[in-house]
Amino acid sequence: MRITGEAGLRAPAGEVFKALHDPEVLVRTIPGCRRLDLVGPDSYTMVVHAGVAAVKGEFAGEVRLSDPDPPHGFTLHASGSGAPGTVTATVDVTLVEVDGSTVVSYAADAEIGGMIGGVGQRLLGSVATKTAAEFFAAVDAEMTGAVGPAAVEPTRAEPAQKRSFVAPVRPRPAPATFLAGAIVGAAAALLGALVGGLVATRAGRR
Amino acid sequence: MTTKLFGEPIPRREDPRLVAGAGRYLDDIDEPGQLAAAFVRSPHAHASIVDIDVTGALEVDGLVAVYTYEDLAGPLAQPLPLLIPHPSLRAARTPYPLAKDRVRHVGEAVAMVVATDRYLAEDAAQRIRVTYQPLPPVVGLDAASKAGHLVHEDVPDNVSAHLVQEVGDAAAAIAAAPHRLHLELHIERSASMPMEGRGVHARWDETDRSLRVYSSTQTSTSLRFALAAKLDLPVDRVEVVTPDVGGGFGVKIVHPWPEEVLVPWAAIRLRRPVKWAEDRREHFISSAHERGQQHSVDVGFDDDGRLLGLSVKFLHDNGAYTPYGIIVPQVTSTQLPGPYRLGAYRVEFHSLYTNTVQVTPYRGAGRPHGVFVMERTMDAIAAALGLDRTVVRERNFIQPEQMPYDQGLIFQDGRPLVYDSGDYPAALRLAKKLVGWDEFTAVREQARAQGRRVGIGIACYVEGTGVGPYEGAYVRVETTGKVVVATGLTTQGQGHETVFAQIAADQLGVPVENVNVVTGDTRRFAFAVGTFASRAAVMSGNAVAAAAGKVRAKALRIAGEALEVDPADLSIVDGVVSVKGTPQAAIPLASVAVLANPLRYAFDEQAKQATQFAVGGGIHRPPVAEDDEPGLAATGYYSPVRSTFANGVHAAVVETDPETAEIRILRYCVVHDCGRLINPRIVQGQVHGGVAQGVGGALYERIVYDEHGQLLNASYMDFLIPYASEVPAIEIDHLQTPSPLNPLGIKGAGEAGVIPGAAVLAAAIEDAEGIPVHRMPICPSELWELRNADHR
Repeated sequence: MRITGEAGLRAPAGEVFKALHDPEVLVRTIPGCRRLDLVGPDSYTMVVHAGVAAVKGEFAGEVRLSDPDPPHGFTLHASGSGAPGTVTATVDVTLVEVDGSTVVSYAADAEIGGMIGGVGQRLLGSVATKTAAEFFAAVDAEMTGAVGPAAVEPTRAEPAQKRSFVAPVRPRPAPATFLAGAIVGAAAALLGALVGGLVATRAGRR
Repeated sequence: MTTKLFGEPIPRREDPRLVAGAGRYLDDIDEPGQLAAAFVRSPHAHASIVDIDVTGALEVDGLVAVYTYEDLAGPLAQPLPLLIPHPSLRAARTPYPLAKDRVRHVGEAVAMVVATDRYLAEDAAQRIRVTYQPLPPVVGLDAASKAGHLVHEDVPDNVSAHLVQEVGDAAAAIAAAPHRLHLELHIERSASMPMEGRGVHARWDETDRSLRVYSSTQTSTSLRFALAAKLDLPVDRVEVVTPDVGGGFGVKIVHPWPEEVLVPWAAIRLRRPVKWAEDRREHFISSAHERGQQHSVDVGFDDDGRLLGLSVKFLHDNGAYTPYGIIVPQVTSTQLPGPYRLGAYRVEFHSLYTNTVQVTPYRGAGRPHGVFVMERTMDAIAAALGLDRTVVRERNFIQPEQMPYDQGLIFQDGRPLVYDSGDYPAALRLAKKLVGWDEFTAVREQARAQGRRVGIGIACYVEGTGVGPYEGAYVRVETTGKVVVATGLTTQGQGHETVFAQIAADQLGVPVENVNVVTGDTRRFAFAVGTFASRAAVMSGNAVAAAAGKVRAKALRIAGEALEVDPADLSIVDGVVSVKGTPQAAIPLASVAVLANPLRYAFDEQAKQATQFAVGGGIHRPPVAEDDEPGLAATGYYSPVRSTFANGVHAAVVETDPETAEIRILRYCVVHDCGRLINPRIVQGQVHGGVAQGVGGALYERIVYDEHGQLLNASYMDFLIPYASEVPAIEIDHLQTPSPLNPLGIKGAGEAGVIPGAAVLAAAIEDAEGIPVHRMPICPSELWELRNADHR
């Protein structure tokens, strides 16, 4: 399936990159993101918790970057799997600065398998886009100071090439999309988080 | 006087039990110590298996065992059987019970988990990490025939089978014809979706060294043989019992399923009962689908619309494996001619592998596609010549006096395709009258004047039913006067307890309430084929009649001896044998049953009558004669020389919304000829169910894969089964043209209702819209697209 969308961030491209550079920000802003590990050049793993009601699960994801064209765009390859299903996605991301703000556009070509692929496909696109928007809104809030930085303690110190970032344990308001239905919600959260996460992770590398 | 039962619309005897929730289905079977199985299934359409890491599952409390392909040995490590070989099936491939190295469709079983309950089994299954190396999937007939990628490395063109049948020189006949048409006609993939999925329960008796398997199957006897072979057990140590089955529709004739061999195998290894009941998503992605075919048609005809030559080439999507051989495309190719004299006919198909769920027969089994092709072609000829659609059909009908009619083809049973009987012109006349065909022009015009779009369609079909090789039945009159009937074929809700009881009761002159019918239990009847191809009534019905006839003859002989009269002078009424015209000279059938079994021991009051001092006379002959057997019982078989052909005509009136393109069925009329009716109520029910499924297949149901081979609508949220609100009132008229091939003169009725559904609704929509409809199913958005394309 193909998912496209864009988000406006109220900061110049340079600042957007700077904000997205910090994996601690990403781990706080990607919906359901539990941890983000830098495992090698251009390679990350992440754990996303997604689900509603009875359908919940942790997805272990991998992200790889290719075709960098700073600061205009890049391609991300992501795969995630967990109890509710699997996601494999290729995402083209472009950044355009307009009047001091930045428009981030993404186009994801995703293969969604397992239970979420079979039972929620029809609604995945729109709900995933919405979840991605929530991610960008959260990043925007971080940059514009709408929320203060939460206290985050890395659980362990790692060498520079292998670092982990763990999400703080804190109550998180349930996004409206999480009411959309258990299965669809789980699927959407996963995909939205990945799409969002991919953008963020690429930026975080810089 | 016993009421004649054959032909009576008595209520279904199984319904009080089933409707009250007293049925016993596979998942109702529970035993102490029972374990549950769950399966790890491939999320990829095509991939190599790199690694299976089960360590995560080991932490789950209640886990008993995890099995992968590496645990299988002997026959179980071999691919599952190719059930129906055919010379044209040049590259048959069947799956392993658990994937070996490679998966070829989403849903293929990779590992089996056994735990103390299903919840824990699924928890453990979710913790098994399988590492896959994805391979390019082949999805859809276009990709399959291009063969840019392969489903099986050793099948270089993705072609499993290629078959040509030709009667006359079709190409020459078409070339020489005054009129020619070319049509591309497609039917999309769908699935039968029984309400109850597959399921299997197995119990191993270590002391007895015997295995009992319950399975929601359409064939218990063949499953028994398959299990004995796969598990290396003597057949007499394996028994297979079919509990109540919540629908089969063809998908459950496939056997043995991976789960069907693995669950009994695990039960033997673990020495504990094991159960697996399929969930709905598993059914979508790991059972079987059908229907997907693309047909390319060339037809030549004369000025009157008479067919001179027909050439059909089609592609059949058989999914990833071919356990059921070429039956579906073979049936399409041979049933396509329907009730018509074709002139010359050539049909050619390629059956192609794709990385999707395997394709096996679904109610209708290739016929809905064939009828769609033939009937759309008939309508196209009528349109080309400006003739009434029914006139073109009438001019091409095989006439009753031409029966038996040899189409010159070889049918799915390997026998010549010879229509045994039928009156096609009469069926069409009835259908036209029922739907008001001749008055419809005025109806259509009147609706037009009101801004409404209504259209009418008609479709004819001929259906080969009752294929061999045989069925059998055992009938015994007990000393209580009750009658036991056992037949080996299975029941999935058809009403066998009623119709087989009617047949036996009629033969034996007993009330139907006194007859108890058992089906699908290898302990009760071991030789059978199975329930498919609208064959149960024809095959087991005639076998029951044969067995009951023998019992009747024996009862009359014994009663004649007891009453000292000629058996020819006796009749059996309400369970009492009496002398015709002298009703006081009588003996109850129960007493005859007692006399039929000479006894030494008087274990009850009745038995006393059969002991050696009670039975007088004949001291110089053995109590059981050389050519006789004890008991008022007999076994009978029926084995037809070839199939018997039912037929019918459906007509439908639809209305399409000029703005939203919503399609509503206003009327649905059925004329149905399945020979003599055993029970009109049950035939009517079969027609209703079939029409509902036909409506679903025409307007709602379809299986949708994306380009990755992911099934996108694997739930009832998105695979739309019609509700009662979508199924129209069904008006039925019957013709009864007896089959000359079997003693009861009956033909099959199980699939008929579904067969012309796509054809007749396409025709009605086309009539309402004035736009050709060449692809089914059709939904409102597709009709809307057709309108837009038509306007461009």
